[in-house]
Amino acid sequence: MSSIERTIETPKDKQNRHKAMEAIKVINSIKDDFKSPIQSMNYFYDLFEKVYCKNEPLHSGKTKIGTMCIQIPSEIIYALDGVPIRLCNGFYTDDEIGSDLLPQKACPLVKATVGHFASNNFIDKPDIVFSPTTCDQKTKAGTIIRNYGFKVIDVDFPRTKESEGSREYWRKSIKQFAVELSKFKNKKLTKSNLEASIKKIGYAQSLYHKLSEYRKEEILPILGLDMFLITNAFFFDKIDSWTEAMEILLKEMKIRVDKKTNVAGKRSPRIVFTGSPPIFPNYKIPLIIEQSDALIVADETCSSNRMFNDMVAVDEWNLYDMIDSISDKYLKACTCPIFTTNDDRIRRIIDLVKNYKADAVIYQAFAGCTVYEMEQRSVLEAMEKAGIPILYIESDYSPSQQGQLSTRIEAFVESIKNRRRRKK
Amino acid sequence: MSNLKRKINNMNLVRFRFWFQIVAFLLIVYGGYIGFDLGNKLPTFACVYNGDFTGGKCYLGMLQHDLKHPWETFLGFAGYAFLISLGIFIGWLWLLNKAWCGYVCPLGTMQDWITAFRTKLKIRFSQYDWSSRAKIKPIKWILLILLLIIPVMIANSVFGLPKLPNGLSMPFCDICPGRMLIPAFTGDFGQFYIDFSSKTDLVMTTLGMIIVGLFLIGSFIKKRFFCYFCPMAALQYTFSKPALLKLYKDGSKCTKCGDCYRACDMDILEIADDVTSKNLVTEDCTLCLKCVAACPEEGCLEANFAGKTIFESTKEGFIIRMAMDKKGELNEQH
Repeated sequence: MSSIERTIETPKDKQNRHKAMEAIKVINSIKDDFKSPIQSMNYFYDLFEKVYCKNEPLHSGKTKIGTMCIQIPSEIIYALDGVPIRLCNGFYTDDEIGSDLLPQKACPLVKATVGHFASNNFIDKPDIVFSPTTCDQKTKAGTIIRNYGFKVIDVDFPRTKESEGSREYWRKSIKQFAVELSKFKNKKLTKSNLEASIKKIGYAQSLYHKLSEYRKEEILPILGLDMFLITNAFFFDKIDSWTEAMEILLKEMKIRVDKKTNVAGKRSPRIVFTGSPPIFPNYKIPLIIEQSDALIVADETCSSNRMFNDMVAVDEWNLYDMIDSISDKYLKACTCPIFTTNDDRIRRIIDLVKNYKADAVIYQAFAGCTVYEMEQRSVLEAMEKAGIPILYIESDYSPSQQGQLSTRIEAFVESIKNRRRRKK
Repeated sequence: MSNLKRKINNMNLVRFRFWFQIVAFLLIVYGGYIGFDLGNKLPTFACVYNGDFTGGKCYLGMLQHDLKHPWETFLGFAGYAFLISLGIFIGWLWLLNKAWCGYVCPLGTMQDWITAFRTKLKIRFSQYDWSSRAKIKPIKWILLILLLIIPVMIANSVFGLPKLPNGLSMPFCDICPGRMLIPAFTGDFGQFYIDFSSKTDLVMTTLGMIIVGLFLIGSFIKKRFFCYFCPMAALQYTFSKPALLKLYKDGSKCTKCGDCYRACDMDILEIADDVTSKNLVTEDCTLCLKCVAACPEEGCLEANFAGKTIFESTKEGFIIRMAMDKKGELNEQH
């Protein structure tokens, strides 16, 4: 009698299987659903597949420093020989786990992040987590995660950015962060290692800026979805491999622009994407947008543009000024809606629309992301004043509502096309 | 043309300014040796006490001298002479605007050298907190008013007050650190003295000595320490609006990242936070253009001469200046 060996799938295996399914679906869509694919994007497709479908760790043997938000300076982490891993999560599977632990109306991003920690199922498990006290939900999430046995350190973050007090406060927080990490790593932060890491990250950012320049072209050589993949890869990839992949990609972009390779139709409306961050694999809204014959030419989100836009600017290259410059970069230019006023964000969106010759703005807010929901009205008013069409969409991580969302987005895209035709 | 423009926008401003200031310093302080003379109405501290060596003279000295006349003479020839002098001063000012401070002024240059020395020692600079910063702003205006009024009050009885003693005829020069420091560069240390001949002289020359000490210590601690109090800056600002050289800002491109503010030696907050004004030459601005060099936004800040952009902020320029255009290596082996 032959026996088939049956094993019962553990919850972790099940979680991994579900996450792999989510991931591969998105990767395949981006890979196959659009015309003129980019050769050198394969590095990124493979990277996401390796990490999220095959569960292969990238940083074995290194100290992994988990960060809960954009505000923890990678410059200092690299200088102290750590690897920053941003743990903002985009998986519906983890969102469901988190739903049992957090209020029903909490933000899916926070739920997914907490769910991920609760399951303690990491590909590259963080050795220590730094949690900046940005929005309410993230602030509280830090403590919840600590209760699961992770080493979590809060980094105090102010909610205003104009005042002198908040600038000083945040500079102190960053100094404290550097001290904590330096103690944890048992390594000294020096002028030379910090300067080197500022320039290393600056170089990576400069590549992003170069790539963004190509998105200003009339004939667009790259999809917004690809851009989200590239920027999201920066959450966890080895920085050297990432920059190398970018250098190769930039070469291909140059050729594509010269050859006038278009990833969309000639009349596809150009969109600036803003609001709650699309984090892999939650590309629900961007996917619908680009499948509806519109193109995302720029974005104002913390999972993408905001991570790269501002570079550290140092006046006196000594430790004291470098640390202050780093602090200022993460506070002053940040357009996160947790801050009291949002004029900077509005100016930024309008500037992106102008520079990238966009036709409209699409604003995503996660149901439960109170601050983005609250800012909606003022942004809409400002866009109306500036004569820029805008679509506000509330979304979450669930795979349902696809039909309703695509109907709305398609209708919006159609109306933009009509508007364009009328203009001519 | 566009290539040249790109080169200028990508330039290393710090190095350019360093050499420009050295050349300007040599011409102003030693210019007399080669017969270089820009006259005595300069909107910068070219010191009259530097004797034959000076490549020009400061208008503040001339102004104090001009004002020490009885009322009546102003109605006649002296009045015309005064206006002509002022006109020449304004002419010089309109040429470079406040860049006289950031690029030419020998006292400014000396302070920048002291700053460079401090940086070499890896000692942190200090900053005023915002409220103190606001409080010291009027001091330069008070000094300006005093240096205008005192000479008048020597020659005239104002509101029936007794005339001031003649020892006060150059009140600002008495306390100006330039009087002592600039001639020292041509080997003349004779200005370091305390004059016991009269009470006024005693007080003024003692004040002068104290201020030189403060100048040297202050500028080691605070970048451009003296410029915060400079009455020349106040006088310049009075006439700076129509000047040819300008610092313009396009607020719609500003992200308020504050890079410009941090680079600013004069801690001018408006440069980062004002997104509505176009002309950003504020009363304390020295037009050093460090803010333009530190700005990462394409065309947000620019130096403009007579309506033409001569140097503007670009992403590329920023990246090159911060040495982020090349793949760096982390020192540590991974």
